[in-house]
Amino acid sequence: MNHTYHHTRQLWACDIIPPYILERIASRGTQTQRAIALQTLARDNSIRSQRAVQSQVRSGELETAGPARKNRLVYAAANTTNLHGTLVRSEGQGPSGDVAVNEAYNGFGVTFDLYWDVYARNSIDNNGMDLVGTVHYGDRYDNAFWDGAQMVFGDGDGTIFNRFTIAIDVIGHELTHGVTAATAGIEYHDQPGALNESVSDVFGSLVKQRSLGQRADEADWLIGAGLFAAGFRGVGLRSMKAPGTAYDDPLIGRVPQPDHMSRYVNTTSDQGGVHTNSGIPNRAFYLIAIAIGGNSWDLAGNIWYRTLLDSRLSTAAQFQDFANLTAYNANLLYGASAEAVVVQAWHEVGIDVLELVGLNLSNAP
Amino acid sequence: MTITFEMSGGFAPLPALSSPVTIDTAQIEPQARTELESLVELCRFFDQPALTTPAKGAADYRTYTITVQDGPRVHTIQLTDPITDINVEQFVSRLRVMARKMTP
Repeated sequence: MNHTYHHTRQLWACDIIPPYILERIASRGTQTQRAIALQTLARDNSIRSQRAVQSQVRSGELETAGPARKNRLVYAAANTTNLHGTLVRSEGQGPSGDVAVNEAYNGFGVTFDLYWDVYARNSIDNNGMDLVGTVHYGDRYDNAFWDGAQMVFGDGDGTIFNRFTIAIDVIGHELTHGVTAATAGIEYHDQPGALNESVSDVFGSLVKQRSLGQRADEADWLIGAGLFAAGFRGVGLRSMKAPGTAYDDPLIGRVPQPDHMSRYVNTTSDQGGVHTNSGIPNRAFYLIAIAIGGNSWDLAGNIWYRTLLDSRLSTAAQFQDFANLTAYNANLLYGASAEAVVVQAWHEVGIDVLELVGLNLSNAP
Repeated sequence: MTITFEMSGGFAPLPALSSPVTIDTAQIEPQARTELESLVELCRFFDQPALTTPAKGAADYRTYTITVQDGPRVHTIQLTDPITDINVEQFVSRLRVMARKMTP
Protein backbone atom coordinates (compact mmCIF):
# COMPACT_ATOMS: atom_id res chain seq x y z
CA MET A 1 0.00 0.00 0.00
CA ASN A 2 1.33 3.44 -0.90
CA HIS A 3 1.25 6.35 1.46
CA THR A 4 1.28 9.99 0.54
CA TYR A 5 3.06 12.38 2.81
CA HIS A 6 1.50 15.07 4.93
CA HIS A 7 2.54 18.51 3.82
CA THR A 8 2.82 20.19 7.16
CA ARG A 9 6.33 19.23 8.21
CA GLN A 10 8.54 22.03 9.38
CA LEU A 11 12.01 22.78 8.08
CA TRP A 12 14.74 22.63 10.69
CA ALA A 13 17.69 24.49 9.30
CA CYS A 14 20.24 22.62 11.40
CA ASP A 15 19.32 19.39 9.61
CA ILE A 16 20.34 20.68 6.22
CA ILE A 17 23.59 22.48 6.88
CA PRO A 18 26.24 20.52 4.96
CA PRO A 19 29.06 18.98 7.01
CA TYR A 20 31.78 21.21 5.56
CA ILE A 21 30.00 24.31 6.84
CA LEU A 22 29.50 22.70 10.24
CA GLU A 23 33.20 21.82 10.31
CA ARG A 24 34.08 25.40 9.48
CA ILE A 25 31.86 26.67 12.31
CA ALA A 26 33.34 24.07 14.64
CA SER A 27 36.84 25.38 13.95
CA ARG A 28 36.20 29.13 13.59
CA GLY A 29 32.94 29.97 15.38
CA THR A 30 32.33 31.36 18.83
CA GLN A 31 32.46 28.98 21.78
CA THR A 32 28.68 28.47 21.71
CA GLN A 33 28.59 28.07 17.94
CA ARG A 34 31.42 25.55 18.08
CA ALA A 35 29.65 23.49 20.71
CA ILE A 36 26.42 23.33 18.73
CA ALA A 37 28.25 22.57 15.49
CA LEU A 38 30.22 19.74 17.10
CA GLN A 39 27.07 18.22 18.60
CA THR A 40 25.35 18.41 15.23
CA LEU A 41 28.33 16.88 13.46
CA ALA A 42 28.46 14.00 15.92
CA ARG A 43 24.78 13.29 15.48
CA ASP A 44 25.05 13.68 11.69
CA ASN A 45 27.95 11.24 11.46
CA SER A 46 25.90 8.64 13.26
CA ILE A 47 22.92 9.21 10.96
CA ARG A 48 25.08 9.23 7.84
CA SER A 49 26.62 5.89 8.81
CA GLN A 50 23.16 4.40 8.98
CA ARG A 51 22.14 6.08 5.72
CA ALA A 52 25.15 4.76 3.83
CA VAL A 53 23.73 1.30 4.28
CA GLN A 54 20.48 2.40 2.66
CA SER A 55 22.15 4.16 -0.28
CA GLN A 56 20.97 2.97 -3.67
CA VAL A 57 23.62 4.65 -5.78
CA ARG A 58 24.59 2.85 -8.98
CA SER A 59 27.71 0.76 -8.64
CA GLY A 60 30.90 2.76 -8.98
CA GLU A 61 29.21 6.14 -9.39
CA LEU A 62 30.50 7.66 -6.17
CA GLU A 63 34.08 6.57 -6.76
CA THR A 64 35.97 8.68 -9.26
CA ALA A 65 38.23 6.88 -11.69
CA GLY A 66 41.60 8.53 -11.31
CA PRO A 67 42.40 12.22 -10.79
CA ALA A 68 40.27 15.00 -12.25
CA ARG A 69 40.76 15.16 -16.00
CA LYS A 70 39.50 18.27 -17.76
CA ASN A 71 40.28 18.00 -21.46
CA ARG A 72 38.41 20.45 -23.67
CA LEU A 73 38.48 20.28 -27.46
CA VAL A 74 36.59 22.92 -29.45
CA TYR A 75 36.18 22.51 -33.20
CA ALA A 76 34.81 24.99 -35.74
CA ALA A 77 32.62 23.69 -38.57
CA ALA A 78 32.80 26.90 -40.66
CA ASN A 79 29.02 26.76 -41.22
CA THR A 80 29.14 23.24 -42.60
CA THR A 81 27.93 20.13 -40.79
CA ASN A 82 31.41 18.68 -40.48
CA LEU A 83 31.70 18.12 -36.73
CA HIS A 84 35.49 17.94 -36.77
CA GLY A 85 36.25 20.69 -39.26
CA THR A 86 39.09 22.52 -37.55
CA LEU A 87 40.36 22.06 -34.00
CA VAL A 88 40.55 25.68 -32.84
CA ARG A 89 41.22 25.44 -29.12
CA SER A 90 42.32 22.54 -26.96
CA GLU A 91 42.98 22.24 -23.25
CA GLY A 92 45.41 24.79 -21.90
CA GLN A 93 45.55 26.95 -25.02
CA GLY A 94 44.89 30.67 -24.72
CA PRO A 95 41.80 32.44 -26.05
CA SER A 96 41.08 32.33 -29.75
CA GLY A 97 39.85 35.35 -31.69
CA ASP A 98 36.53 33.60 -32.09
CA VAL A 99 34.01 34.48 -29.39
CA ALA A 100 31.95 31.30 -29.88
CA VAL A 101 35.04 29.14 -29.46
CA ASN A 102 35.96 30.92 -26.23
CA GLU A 103 32.42 30.75 -24.88
CA ALA A 104 32.29 27.01 -25.54
CA TYR A 105 35.73 26.44 -23.99
CA ASN A 106 34.91 28.48 -20.90
CA GLY A 107 31.42 26.99 -20.62
CA PHE A 108 32.82 23.46 -20.72
CA GLY A 109 35.27 24.50 -18.01
CA VAL A 110 32.75 25.86 -15.52
CA THR A 111 30.44 22.91 -16.17
CA PHE A 112 33.26 20.46 -15.51
CA ASP A 113 34.11 22.42 -12.35
CA LEU A 114 30.54 22.23 -11.02
CA TYR A 115 30.45 18.46 -11.44
CA TRP A 116 33.95 17.95 -10.04
CA ASP A 117 34.07 20.51 -7.23
CA VAL A 118 30.55 19.95 -5.91
CA TYR A 119 29.63 16.38 -6.84
CA ALA A 120 33.13 14.84 -7.29
CA ARG A 121 32.15 13.70 -10.78
CA ASN A 122 35.12 13.29 -13.11
CA SER A 123 33.66 14.64 -16.39
CA ILE A 124 30.68 13.30 -18.31
CA ASP A 125 31.37 9.59 -17.75
CA ASN A 126 33.04 10.01 -14.32
CA ASN A 127 36.19 8.74 -15.98
CA GLY A 128 37.68 11.91 -17.44
CA MET A 129 35.92 11.82 -20.80
CA ASP A 130 37.02 14.52 -23.27
CA LEU A 131 34.68 17.52 -23.48
CA VAL A 132 34.25 17.92 -27.22
CA GLY A 133 32.23 20.64 -28.90
CA THR A 134 31.71 22.04 -32.37
CA VAL A 135 30.72 25.66 -32.98
CA HIS A 136 29.54 27.41 -36.17
CA TYR A 137 27.62 24.26 -37.11
CA GLY A 138 25.43 24.49 -40.21
CA ASP A 139 23.98 27.40 -42.11
CA ARG A 140 22.17 29.87 -39.82
CA TYR A 141 21.47 26.86 -37.64
CA ASP A 142 19.04 27.67 -34.80
CA ASN A 143 19.95 24.94 -32.39
CA ALA A 144 22.36 23.27 -29.99
CA PHE A 145 22.37 19.53 -29.35
CA TRP A 146 24.13 16.58 -27.77
CA ASP A 147 24.76 13.95 -30.45
CA GLY A 148 25.50 11.13 -28.02
CA ALA A 149 29.22 11.86 -27.89
CA GLN A 150 29.74 15.62 -28.11
CA MET A 151 28.09 19.05 -28.02
CA VAL A 152 27.13 21.00 -31.16
CA PHE A 153 26.25 24.69 -31.41
CA GLY A 154 24.75 26.70 -34.26
CA ASP A 155 25.20 30.42 -34.92
CA GLY A 156 21.47 31.17 -34.99
CA ASP A 157 19.74 32.91 -37.85
CA GLY A 158 20.39 36.39 -36.44
CA THR A 159 16.69 37.20 -36.75
CA ILE A 160 15.22 35.19 -33.89
CA PHE A 161 18.27 33.56 -32.33
CA ASN A 162 21.82 34.64 -31.56
CA ARG A 163 24.65 32.10 -31.37
CA PHE A 164 23.87 29.26 -28.99
CA THR A 165 27.09 29.55 -26.98
CA ILE A 166 26.00 32.97 -25.74
CA ALA A 167 24.19 31.50 -22.73
CA ILE A 168 26.38 29.46 -20.39
CA ASP A 169 23.39 27.49 -19.12
CA VAL A 170 22.88 26.15 -22.65
CA ILE A 171 26.37 24.68 -22.51
CA GLY A 172 25.73 23.19 -19.06
CA HIS A 173 22.42 21.86 -20.35
CA GLU A 174 23.98 20.03 -23.30
CA LEU A 175 26.85 18.57 -21.29
CA THR A 176 24.36 17.33 -18.71
CA HIS A 177 22.60 15.31 -21.41
CA GLY A 178 25.86 13.38 -21.56
CA VAL A 179 25.83 12.89 -17.79
CA THR A 180 22.23 11.66 -17.88
CA ALA A 181 23.07 9.25 -20.69
CA ALA A 182 26.04 7.95 -18.69
CA THR A 183 23.99 7.46 -15.52
CA ALA A 184 20.23 6.95 -15.50
CA GLY A 185 19.95 6.81 -19.30
CA ILE A 186 16.47 8.32 -19.18
CA GLU A 187 14.65 7.84 -22.48
CA TYR A 188 14.15 10.85 -24.72
CA HIS A 189 10.44 10.92 -25.41
CA ASP A 190 7.19 11.82 -23.66
CA GLN A 191 7.32 12.14 -19.86
CA PRO A 192 10.73 10.47 -19.37
CA GLY A 193 12.04 12.80 -22.08
CA ALA A 194 10.61 15.83 -20.30
CA LEU A 195 12.34 14.64 -17.13
CA ASN A 196 15.59 14.22 -19.06
CA GLU A 197 15.19 17.78 -20.38
CA SER A 198 14.42 19.12 -16.92
CA VAL A 199 17.55 17.53 -15.44
CA SER A 200 19.56 19.35 -18.10
CA ASP A 201 17.80 22.64 -17.38
CA VAL A 202 18.44 22.20 -13.65
CA PHE A 203 22.18 21.61 -13.97
CA GLY A 204 22.46 24.17 -16.77
CA SER A 205 20.98 26.74 -14.41
CA LEU A 206 23.28 25.61 -11.59
CA VAL A 207 26.29 26.08 -13.86
CA LYS A 208 25.16 29.64 -14.51
CA GLN A 209 24.33 30.42 -10.88
CA ARG A 210 27.65 29.08 -9.63
CA SER A 211 29.62 30.93 -12.30
CA LEU A 212 27.91 34.16 -11.21
CA GLY A 213 28.17 33.39 -7.48
CA GLN A 214 24.41 33.75 -7.08
CA ARG A 215 22.28 32.37 -4.27
CA ALA A 216 18.92 30.81 -5.15
CA ASP A 217 17.05 34.03 -4.41
CA GLU A 218 19.43 36.08 -6.57
CA ALA A 219 19.24 33.92 -9.70
CA ASP A 220 16.99 34.69 -12.67
CA TRP A 221 16.16 30.98 -13.18
CA LEU A 222 16.03 31.56 -16.93
CA ILE A 223 17.26 29.12 -19.54
CA GLY A 224 18.68 30.78 -22.63
CA ALA A 225 18.78 34.41 -21.48
CA GLY A 226 20.46 36.39 -24.26
CA LEU A 227 19.64 33.77 -26.86
CA PHE A 228 16.96 35.83 -28.58
CA ALA A 229 18.06 38.42 -31.10
CA ALA A 230 17.37 42.10 -30.47
CA GLY A 231 13.77 43.18 -30.82
CA PHE A 232 12.33 39.86 -29.87
CA ARG A 233 9.87 39.89 -26.98
CA GLY A 234 11.35 37.42 -24.58
CA VAL A 235 13.76 37.32 -21.65
CA GLY A 236 14.85 33.77 -22.41
CA LEU A 237 13.67 30.46 -23.72
CA ARG A 238 12.29 28.98 -20.52
CA SER A 239 11.70 30.14 -16.97
CA MET A 240 12.12 27.57 -14.20
CA LYS A 241 10.58 29.99 -11.73
CA ALA A 242 7.49 30.71 -13.80
CA PRO A 243 7.20 28.20 -16.66
CA GLY A 244 5.20 29.57 -19.58
CA THR A 245 6.27 33.20 -19.20
CA ALA A 246 9.75 33.49 -20.73
CA TYR A 247 8.62 34.82 -24.10
CA ASP A 248 5.46 36.17 -25.67
CA ASP A 249 6.05 37.53 -29.15
CA PRO A 250 3.69 38.40 -32.02
CA LEU A 251 5.70 36.23 -34.41
CA ILE A 252 5.88 32.97 -32.49
CA GLY A 253 3.42 33.38 -29.64
CA ARG A 254 3.88 32.40 -26.02
CA VAL A 255 6.11 29.69 -24.60
CA PRO A 256 3.86 26.65 -24.08
CA GLN A 257 5.34 25.32 -20.82
CA PRO A 258 3.02 24.19 -17.99
CA ASP A 259 3.84 24.77 -14.33
CA HIS A 260 1.51 22.13 -12.89
CA MET A 261 0.45 18.55 -13.70
CA SER A 262 -3.12 19.71 -14.26
CA ARG A 263 -1.84 21.58 -17.31
CA TYR A 264 0.33 18.72 -18.67
CA VAL A 265 0.44 18.95 -22.48
CA ASN A 266 -0.21 15.78 -24.48
CA THR A 267 1.43 16.14 -27.88
CA THR A 268 3.38 14.11 -30.40
CA SER A 269 5.51 17.08 -31.47
CA ASP A 270 9.01 17.54 -30.05
CA GLN A 271 9.38 13.86 -29.07
CA GLY A 272 6.18 14.15 -27.08
CA GLY A 273 6.64 17.63 -25.65
CA VAL A 274 9.97 17.06 -23.93
CA HIS A 275 10.75 20.80 -23.90
CA THR A 276 7.19 21.62 -22.88
CA ASN A 277 6.35 19.47 -19.88
CA SER A 278 9.84 19.90 -18.44
CA GLY A 279 8.36 23.06 -16.90
CA ILE A 280 6.74 20.95 -14.17
CA PRO A 281 9.87 19.36 -12.62
CA ASN A 282 11.78 22.57 -13.36
CA ARG A 283 9.45 24.49 -11.08
CA ALA A 284 9.63 21.79 -8.41
CA PHE A 285 13.40 22.19 -8.31
CA TYR A 286 13.12 25.97 -8.15
CA LEU A 287 10.72 25.75 -5.20
CA ILE A 288 13.05 23.41 -3.33
CA ALA A 289 16.10 25.57 -3.95
CA ILE A 290 14.28 28.69 -2.77
CA ALA A 291 12.87 26.95 0.33
CA ILE A 292 16.29 25.62 1.34
CA GLY A 293 18.04 28.88 0.49
CA GLY A 294 21.73 29.54 -0.07
CA ASN A 295 23.50 28.10 -3.08
CA SER A 296 21.18 25.96 -5.18
CA TRP A 297 24.01 23.69 -6.31
CA ASP A 298 24.81 22.59 -2.77
CA LEU A 299 21.82 20.87 -1.18
CA ALA A 300 19.10 21.00 -3.84
CA GLY A 301 21.60 20.21 -6.58
CA ASN A 302 23.05 17.32 -4.62
CA ILE A 303 19.60 15.81 -4.04
CA TRP A 304 18.98 15.93 -7.80
CA TYR A 305 22.43 14.56 -8.59
CA ARG A 306 22.14 11.67 -6.15
CA THR A 307 18.71 10.86 -7.56
CA LEU A 308 20.21 10.71 -11.03
CA LEU A 309 22.66 8.12 -9.68
CA ASP A 310 19.96 6.14 -7.87
CA SER A 311 19.80 2.63 -9.29
CA ARG A 312 16.02 2.61 -8.88
CA LEU A 313 15.59 5.45 -11.38
CA SER A 314 14.58 3.56 -14.49
CA THR A 315 15.12 4.60 -18.09
CA ALA A 316 11.34 5.02 -18.41
CA ALA A 317 10.99 7.09 -15.23
CA GLN A 318 7.93 9.30 -14.85
CA PHE A 319 7.81 12.54 -12.85
CA GLN A 320 6.22 10.58 -9.99
CA ASP A 321 9.15 8.15 -9.84
CA PHE A 322 11.67 10.97 -9.82
CA ALA A 323 9.72 12.86 -7.15
CA ASN A 324 9.61 9.78 -4.91
CA LEU A 325 13.36 9.28 -5.23
CA THR A 326 14.22 12.93 -4.63
CA ALA A 327 12.29 12.78 -1.35
CA TYR A 328 14.07 9.56 -0.40
CA ASN A 329 17.49 11.00 -1.23
CA ALA A 330 16.74 14.29 0.51
CA ASN A 331 16.07 12.34 3.69
CA LEU A 332 19.11 10.16 3.16
CA LEU A 333 21.41 13.13 2.66
CA TYR A 334 19.98 15.85 4.87
CA GLY A 335 17.23 14.44 7.05
CA ALA A 336 13.48 14.66 7.45
CA SER A 337 13.20 18.43 7.22
CA ALA A 338 14.86 18.49 3.79
CA GLU A 339 12.60 15.66 2.73
CA ALA A 340 9.58 17.69 3.82
CA VAL A 341 10.70 20.61 1.65
CA VAL A 342 11.00 18.30 -1.35
CA VAL A 343 7.61 16.73 -0.73
CA GLN A 344 5.95 20.13 -0.43
CA ALA A 345 7.51 21.42 -3.66
CA TRP A 346 6.32 18.43 -5.67
CA HIS A 347 2.88 18.82 -4.13
CA GLU A 348 2.78 22.42 -5.35
CA VAL A 349 3.28 21.26 -8.94
CA GLY A 350 0.63 18.57 -8.62
CA ILE A 351 2.63 15.49 -7.68
CA ASP A 352 2.14 13.86 -4.28
CA VAL A 353 5.22 11.93 -3.30
CA LEU A 354 4.79 8.30 -2.35
CA GLU A 355 6.89 6.83 0.42
CA LEU A 356 9.30 4.31 -1.04
CA VAL A 357 9.25 1.92 1.91
CA GLY A 358 7.04 -0.99 0.92
CA LEU A 359 6.69 0.14 -2.68
CA ASN A 360 6.99 -2.50 -5.36
CA LEU A 361 9.80 -1.03 -7.43
CA SER A 362 9.19 -3.04 -10.55
CA ASN A 363 11.96 -1.30 -12.43
CA ALA A 364 14.60 -1.82 -9.81
CA PRO A 365 17.51 -3.96 -11.03
CA MET B 1 6.86 17.63 -57.78
CA THR B 2 5.54 18.49 -54.33
CA ILE B 3 7.71 18.49 -51.24
CA THR B 4 6.30 18.58 -47.70
CA PHE B 5 8.74 19.51 -44.95
CA GLU B 6 8.24 19.47 -41.19
CA MET B 7 10.80 20.22 -38.50
CA SER B 8 10.31 19.62 -34.80
CA GLY B 9 12.33 19.43 -31.60
CA GLY B 10 15.70 20.98 -30.89
CA PHE B 11 16.89 22.83 -27.80
CA ALA B 12 14.74 25.80 -28.73
CA PRO B 13 11.60 24.47 -30.40
CA LEU B 14 9.17 27.18 -31.44
CA PRO B 15 5.79 25.55 -32.09
CA ALA B 16 4.57 28.42 -34.25
CA LEU B 17 7.41 27.75 -36.70
CA SER B 18 7.06 23.97 -36.67
CA SER B 19 4.02 23.57 -38.89
CA PRO B 20 4.55 21.51 -42.07
CA VAL B 21 5.06 23.48 -45.28
CA THR B 22 4.38 22.19 -48.78
CA ILE B 23 6.30 23.37 -51.82
CA ASP B 24 4.88 22.72 -55.27
CA THR B 25 7.86 23.12 -57.57
CA ALA B 26 5.52 24.09 -60.42
CA GLN B 27 4.58 27.18 -58.46
CA ILE B 28 8.04 28.55 -57.61
CA GLU B 29 10.78 30.39 -59.50
CA PRO B 30 12.37 28.26 -62.25
CA GLN B 31 15.80 28.54 -60.67
CA ALA B 32 14.54 27.35 -57.29
CA ARG B 33 12.57 24.58 -58.99
CA THR B 34 15.66 23.33 -60.80
CA GLU B 35 17.69 23.51 -57.62
CA LEU B 36 15.20 21.54 -55.52
CA GLU B 37 14.59 18.87 -58.14
CA SER B 38 18.35 18.47 -58.58
CA LEU B 39 18.81 18.07 -54.84
CA VAL B 40 16.14 15.36 -54.76
CA GLU B 41 18.01 13.47 -57.47
CA LEU B 42 21.45 14.11 -56.02
CA CYS B 43 20.55 12.73 -52.60
CA ARG B 44 18.73 9.75 -54.15
CA PHE B 45 15.74 10.68 -52.06
CA PHE B 46 13.56 7.77 -53.15
CA ASP B 47 16.27 5.31 -52.08
CA GLN B 48 16.75 6.84 -48.64
CA PRO B 49 15.59 4.78 -45.62
CA ALA B 50 12.24 5.79 -44.22
CA LEU B 51 13.57 6.19 -40.70
CA THR B 52 16.96 7.18 -39.35
CA THR B 53 17.19 7.05 -35.59
CA PRO B 54 19.47 9.22 -33.44
CA ALA B 55 22.46 7.88 -31.54
CA LYS B 56 21.87 6.43 -28.08
CA GLY B 57 21.68 9.15 -25.46
CA ALA B 58 21.39 11.97 -28.01
CA ALA B 59 19.20 14.94 -27.09
CA ASP B 60 18.01 18.28 -28.39
CA TYR B 61 18.43 17.10 -31.97
CA ARG B 62 15.92 18.24 -34.55
CA THR B 63 13.67 15.78 -36.33
CA TYR B 64 12.89 16.35 -40.01
CA THR B 65 10.02 14.69 -41.83
CA ILE B 66 10.07 15.05 -45.61
CA THR B 67 7.63 13.70 -48.19
CA VAL B 68 8.31 14.01 -51.91
CA GLN B 69 5.69 13.20 -54.51
CA ASP B 70 6.91 13.05 -58.08
CA GLY B 71 4.25 11.66 -60.42
CA PRO B 72 3.40 8.17 -59.20
CA ARG B 73 6.37 8.05 -56.83
CA VAL B 74 5.81 9.03 -53.20
CA HIS B 75 8.32 8.58 -50.41
CA THR B 76 8.58 9.87 -46.83
CA ILE B 77 11.71 9.95 -44.72
CA GLN B 78 12.27 10.97 -41.11
CA LEU B 79 15.74 11.77 -39.88
CA THR B 80 17.52 13.68 -37.12
CA ASP B 81 20.60 15.84 -36.63
CA PRO B 82 23.43 15.40 -37.31
CA ILE B 83 22.78 14.33 -40.90
CA THR B 84 25.82 12.44 -42.10
CA ASP B 85 24.93 12.13 -45.81
CA ILE B 86 26.18 15.42 -47.21
CA ASN B 87 23.70 15.42 -50.10
CA VAL B 88 20.73 14.80 -47.84
CA GLU B 89 22.03 17.46 -45.47
CA GLN B 90 22.23 19.94 -48.35
CA PHE B 91 18.62 19.17 -49.31
CA VAL B 92 17.41 19.55 -45.71
CA SER B 93 19.36 22.76 -45.24
CA ARG B 94 17.77 24.25 -48.36
CA LEU B 95 14.30 23.19 -47.25
CA ARG B 96 14.91 24.63 -43.79
CA VAL B 97 15.70 28.05 -45.22
CA MET B 98 12.72 27.94 -47.62
CA ALA B 99 10.34 26.81 -44.88
CA ARG B 100 11.51 29.63 -42.63
CA LYS B 101 10.56 32.15 -45.35
CA MET B 102 7.13 30.55 -45.74
CA THR B 103 6.17 30.70 -42.05
CA PRO B 104 5.03 33.89 -40.32
